[in-house]
Amino acid sequence: MTFARDSYRTVIVGAGIVGLFTAYHLARSGGGPVLVVDRGFLSSGASGRNGGGVRQQWETRGTVRLARESVEAYRRFGREFGFNIWFRQSGYLFLAENETELARLKTVHTLVASEGLASKVLDSAGVARFVDGIAPGAVVGGTYLESDGTLYPFPAIWGVYEAARSLGVEVALGVEALGVEVQNARVAGVLTSKGPVATPTVVNAAGGWSGDFSRRSGLEVPNVATRHEILATESMKPFLDPMVVRVADGLYFSQSMRGEIIGGVTLPHRPGTSRGQGSSPAFLIAMARALVGLLPRLGAVGVLRAWSGFYDDTPDGFPVIGEDPRLPGFVHGNGFGGHGFMLAPATSRRIAHAALGQPTDLDPALFSPNRFRGPAPAATAERLQLG
Amino acid sequence: MGEPDRHFSFRGRPRSARDGETLLSALSPDRLPLLRRSIQYHRPQGPFCGIGHCAGCLVRVNGRPNVRACRYEPTEGDSVTTENAWPSPTWDLLGAIGLLSPGGVDTLHGLRRPAWATRFYQRLVRRLAGTGAPPTEAAARALAAPALERSVETVVVGAGGPGRAVAAALAAAGVHPIVLERDLHSPSVGGAELMRATTAVFLPPPSDTGERRFTLLAFREPAVGVRIDARSVVVATGGYDASLLFGGNDRPGVLTADAALSLAAPPRRPPFRRAVVVGGGHRAAELLERCGDAVEAVVAPGEVRPEVVRAATDLGIPLYPRSLLLRADGRKHVRSVRLRARGSGTETSIACDAVVLAHRRVPHSQLFFQAGAAMEWRPSVGAYFPMVSANGATTIPGLFAAGTTAGVPPPELARHAETVADAVVRGAGSTEPVRPRPADGPPTELLGYYRELLHLPGHGRWVACPCADVLLSEVEEAVRSGYRGIEVVKRRSSLGTGICQGRYCLPDALLVLSILEERPPPEVGYITQRPPVVPTPLAALASLPTPPVGAELP
Repeated sequence: MTFARDSYRTVIVGAGIVGLFTAYHLARSGGGPVLVVDRGFLSSGASGRNGGGVRQQWETRGTVRLARESVEAYRRFGREFGFNIWFRQSGYLFLAENETELARLKTVHTLVASEGLASKVLDSAGVARFVDGIAPGAVVGGTYLESDGTLYPFPAIWGVYEAARSLGVEVALGVEALGVEVQNARVAGVLTSKGPVATPTVVNAAGGWSGDFSRRSGLEVPNVATRHEILATESMKPFLDPMVVRVADGLYFSQSMRGEIIGGVTLPHRPGTSRGQGSSPAFLIAMARALVGLLPRLGAVGVLRAWSGFYDDTPDGFPVIGEDPRLPGFVHGNGFGGHGFMLAPATSRRIAHAALGQPTDLDPALFSPNRFRGPAPAATAERLQLG
Repeated sequence: MGEPDRHFSFRGRPRSARDGETLLSALSPDRLPLLRRSIQYHRPQGPFCGIGHCAGCLVRVNGRPNVRACRYEPTEGDSVTTENAWPSPTWDLLGAIGLLSPGGVDTLHGLRRPAWATRFYQRLVRRLAGTGAPPTEAAARALAAPALERSVETVVVGAGGPGRAVAAALAAAGVHPIVLERDLHSPSVGGAELMRATTAVFLPPPSDTGERRFTLLAFREPAVGVRIDARSVVVATGGYDASLLFGGNDRPGVLTADAALSLAAPPRRPPFRRAVVVGGGHRAAELLERCGDAVEAVVAPGEVRPEVVRAATDLGIPLYPRSLLLRADGRKHVRSVRLRARGSGTETSIACDAVVLAHRRVPHSQLFFQAGAAMEWRPSVGAYFPMVSANGATTIPGLFAAGTTAGVPPPELARHAETVADAVVRGAGSTEPVRPRPADGPPTELLGYYRELLHLPGHGRWVACPCADVLLSEVEEAVRSGYRGIEVVKRRSSLGTGICQGRYCLPDALLVLSILEERPPPEVGYITQRPPVVPTPLAALASLPTPPVGAELP
């Protein structure tokens, strides 16, 4: 038999960081039995393909607060889950190439500082102190927040996976969720590639595939999967501490614990998941040009490997969290726009609340699945969708 | 090669190289040098592959880190230093890490308590990790060169025998291909444009809009970006000598037959006097023919072929068939090997100054994987090959395989090259549906070999992945914890994520995982072959023009 039981209290689609964390919180608050299904192997999606950045510098207060809570959770992670995720708080450095970009970053700084975080505005000399060898005249300034940082995603996944399983959560890998079964206008079960399974609640935490799963379940959603590529270089002795992000083109990079430069740059790929998680010559060239242009000495460093993953984008840049009013029992935990790892610890607690039918403290205007319906588009948007 | 005419400094001391001689060759007058320490435990690690893939000969040249000494020819006045040892690779104080933690450091669960110390651990680990110091800006400037862009009918990758034969047949039919060859001094190919010292690094699937064409990225040493647009691609990248799991398998003095044969190219003497050759097939025979007077013994995991028996008998070299190679002993250089006869369990030690691995050749299949061609597991070799039809056509129209990568036996190579060239010229695809071939013989003898080895005590401390310093015990621990499949075990243990990108550790890891997980190797899966095929300087990629914004990207 594929699954241990015929029916579950909750079925979670997606064993990425959001799905596993949600399962963990559900199991802890007595919300079991819980089944998590995933089409691939553990960490085969964006949770195993990201650059490991965790930051609290955002354009909207709602996101800053979720991010700050997540940073605290990652600081505690080693104690709570027994895995070393190498969460290194050595800052995020945003770069501005002109005064307009700097003005935008200063607005972010004001907001972030008003939340009690020690954000700093830097001039070009201040930036150069963090980025040894930056090309002269490449930037006019930037902002820096030391308590932002980077972590190593895989052990975070394993830590939550093993903790969830020890609480009785069942994780079925290599099982694709094909849609939901509806009875009396609410969720009654999930159809999977290994057969149906009964449940009153399904959580869509499928990352890049969440739009596909919602639509297969008969729900029109605006989620769009976009492929983002990333590369790693040969390892070097440490010379760069912060994660560096350039506003203009979405260039981001950091130096990992192993000494590799890991980063990407935004390219206009065709949306959708159909082309898989491959790499393109255009990315390798664009990324090399961006890196060498900013830090000329990197020209003598070798690219070791490149890969890609899907962002799950929403029109306003906020994730979608909560039960879908059109289909009771269908709970969204998606639309993270490439920032699921950053926000998972804080958001997954709310997703678990929603799955248990409890109210959350989230602003419905920003996060509710209902916000895309109705005539007026949302007034606020989170556009700092970088790095 | 003539008189020493290139003077350079190595760790501050004057050295010299002959014209056309690699840095590694110049530094190995009579035995392989110790140039570096392994990345995590700082074990002495020797030059191993000799063809520019492993981490064993990385040095810093004129401020550029991670230069492969086996692929670099010194120029007058070069300054060469070693990278990740202090004060030197021979006397490295950081070797204490390995001595203090013989069972390995558990970075997955450990080094997280007490919480106040994590910053200290992070700084320490970061300082210890990493190979060379970052490059100087001058080193990067010295690499700047204009890119090469070509648009051709056909590109042939590899100018070994099969690649040459295909190129010559194409030229005879009026199609003049570009031929890419990684070797630094390959002789020219008539009727074709040969790009020497050029490595193809990325062959994505052909564009699916308009006319199907391939974009092949490559680079010429040291950092010239190359982009070739072609209608058809013939991949004849050949094979390489695989690694083997045993204790001390990356100690200086352990090397592949590729390395031994290239370092022993006339007029050079091989960098050993008393080598133990591992293997009993064609490759072992080749070694006995080329440097038999420097061979002490032949050890084979399985049976020994008659031609090897004949050659060894003529030379008076003892044979040890059906033997398990337990370990290579010697602190900083191999001094002896320990064997155990399969069946009887009798153990023997052989004094030697090198171990040459010649037991298995596997294909360079990366470009086929990248292009999306259907692949098949060939049990007798224990490796993946592209699925091909009789004329070398793969499942990707326009992509052909020739030579070893097509699984063609040596006597048929010439005729096969003609067939491939004919299909390319006619623009033909496969003449028959490309389908899996029947099993090509019994599974590789290494499966049984490893099954026996994994029962022996002490194997957990063997190094499963020398580039990333992953111990075999970490692979076993991952499987014990319920993580299955090579992709997952790779992420769990870091196996295959180092500088050779799994080229040397994967062929054995697949067999070992198949035994540990109790399922056939193809079910263990394979690691996605991510571009580039070999580390490619950012300067080379950055020299290529950016495709227009908004263009449909694969």
